[in-house]
Amino acid sequence: MDGLIVGIDLCDEYTQINCAEEEKTWTIPSAICKNKSTDQWYVGEEAFAHTLTGDGIIVDKLLKLAAKGGTATLGEIRYEGKTLLKLFLEQALKLPKQEYHTGEIRQLVFTVRKVDTALMELLYGCAQELDIPREKVHIISHSESFIYYVLSQKKEIWNGTVGMFDLSEERLCYYEMRVQRGLKKTTVLAEYENLEEGFNLDILTTPSGARMADWILTSCGERMMQKTVYSSVFLTGKGFEKLDWAEDFMKLVCSKRRVYMEPSVFAKGAAYRAADMLHERTSYPFTMICDGRLKSTVSMNVLHRGQETSVLLASAGDNWYEQMSTMDVIPDGQNTVEFVVTPLDTKSKKTVSIPLEGFPKRLDRTMKVRIQVSFLDERTMDVKLKDQGFGEIFPSTGVQIRQEVML
Amino acid sequence: MSVWLCRQEQVHHPFYVENLNIHLYSSQELSYVICQYPLMVMDGFVNENLLEFLREELDLGFLALKLERWLASREDPDEALVMILQECDYYTAAEIARYRQKLTELRRKHPAEYRKMKADELFAMHQYGRAVKVYQELLESPKDSYVNEEYEGRIWNNLASCYARQFRMKEAFEAYERAYNKLGKEEILQSLYCLTKLDGSLMLGDRMKALITEELKKVWDERFAQVQEQADQSDAVEQLEVLFKRDSIRRQAGAASMLHRWKREYRSMV
Repeated sequence: MDGLIVGIDLCDEYTQINCAEEEKTWTIPSAICKNKSTDQWYVGEEAFAHTLTGDGIIVDKLLKLAAKGGTATLGEIRYEGKTLLKLFLEQALKLPKQEYHTGEIRQLVFTVRKVDTALMELLYGCAQELDIPREKVHIISHSESFIYYVLSQKKEIWNGTVGMFDLSEERLCYYEMRVQRGLKKTTVLAEYENLEEGFNLDILTTPSGARMADWILTSCGERMMQKTVYSSVFLTGKGFEKLDWAEDFMKLVCSKRRVYMEPSVFAKGAAYRAADMLHERTSYPFTMICDGRLKSTVSMNVLHRGQETSVLLASAGDNWYEQMSTMDVIPDGQNTVEFVVTPLDTKSKKTVSIPLEGFPKRLDRTMKVRIQVSFLDERTMDVKLKDQGFGEIFPSTGVQIRQEVML
Repeated sequence: MSVWLCRQEQVHHPFYVENLNIHLYSSQELSYVICQYPLMVMDGFVNENLLEFLREELDLGFLALKLERWLASREDPDEALVMILQECDYYTAAEIARYRQKLTELRRKHPAEYRKMKADELFAMHQYGRAVKVYQELLESPKDSYVNEEYEGRIWNNLASCYARQFRMKEAFEAYERAYNKLGKEEILQSLYCLTKLDGSLMLGDRMKALITEELKKVWDERFAQVQEQADQSDAVEQLEVLFKRDSIRRQAGAASMLHRWKREYRSMV
């Protein structure tokens, strides 16, 4: 193998690692153990073994610990959550490295339940400390890896609606993916809903608990899947490792539908995404609308070569956290900058106007404004406007305004 | 009301416009200078240096080639300016058409008037040294119906103003005297009077002294004091005061930048 193309599903309770085009997936708890007397670190089964024998101290829920900036003291040394997460990832990545006898990471895609800026910075930081260049690291949501996983299957599996239940220690979640064929491009939409009925998997150990769990899941299934024709349904998560407890639920979902059990949908989806990033042309020529991707297109109407034209700043389906546009414009007879926000449903198109407050008053067309657009999340656009001056004729005052725009 | 999209231009070596003492960093600035200061760009502005700037810095190689061929064809050189405006996409077609008309009007002017306008523009741009050169050349213009006593008087007056701004008081005084002798205007007499107040070594002749009444003297003295007071409260003085109130490190940095600016301004003045 020339280098690893890795997908990592990183959750608080478990971590799954899959390499592109490889069937094997490692599932380990998101916990790390430190040897009490030496500077050795362990993950997975080894971590629990050392903890049980008493020569190691274990820390779990690493993602939460690192995200909230917490610390943990192991053997009289206080470690930051971020450091422990980095050590955990370092150890976890050794698993595929040892298996496939290569130390190089060609592409690494993390998939997380909810993408947010702080978590992304944390993961990029960890990767950087592990000497994995930023351009080789990407972070996507579970919804997006679900899309990548499903679209990598045969077409008949995803030509209609695809449903998925994710039952893990912490939650019960329902995902749904639809394909909308358009004239120009096909759009794939994925949504998810955290179901309030989620239960602790420990209840499955008793017959009455298992019956209760089956009843809960069946009622959720009836509610979520009514009136919809599915081309396939997926079941994933630790809760579906055994199905003997979910008799009624299985009867419900398996009625006239294809049902697949796949314990590592997210890690495999992330690995598919990682592999796709290495190709010059994507194998997924779709506009994907899901958690972590923009649902609206942002553009600006500008004059170019005497013609009014529209300049695209971000398109619906772009990963909001990787999207950043910069351009210079010169307002003529106006002291505002206007953005056109077009959601997928083009009927609700709107114009957002930002006044150039505090900018100096100059002759028309002698103020160059640098527009920098990035996104704080899929619904919030961060706009920075800066007076660039007009060369030495009208030097820049350095005035800058920043505004958050709800899309 | 609209917004113009700027070309992406990575200029590492800006183009220096000597007459305006500024560097240009973009095609928009170039267009602006061409359009706003036609007299500064009508003679020899489109040269090899500009072509290189267009080619190497603005990535307008095709325009540079077009201009090169145009200049070689010895056709109307003003058209080269229009070509730049058309290519740089900063002005509308209507604005460019008006500009072309303006160039034609300027070319139709009497050569002495055209050159005086150019010198006046240099003066307005604080390019006193360059303006002096043109004014001095204009004094050598052959006499005709336009180049008459009044015209010469105006040239001497403007030349004197340039000298005064360069602190060449003696030369300014002599030039004002000549201007007064040709035009006989009271404002010129006032300038002469003020120069004597600024430089103690300068003396008005008896003829001129006789022309200045006590009443006039009083008015001019008041005006002189007023201007001095305005100068004391000017932004430049205020900036200096602010600078001296700062801590030593920031004061030094500010002083260095101010000195650099003054030096640049002075160099362009002389």
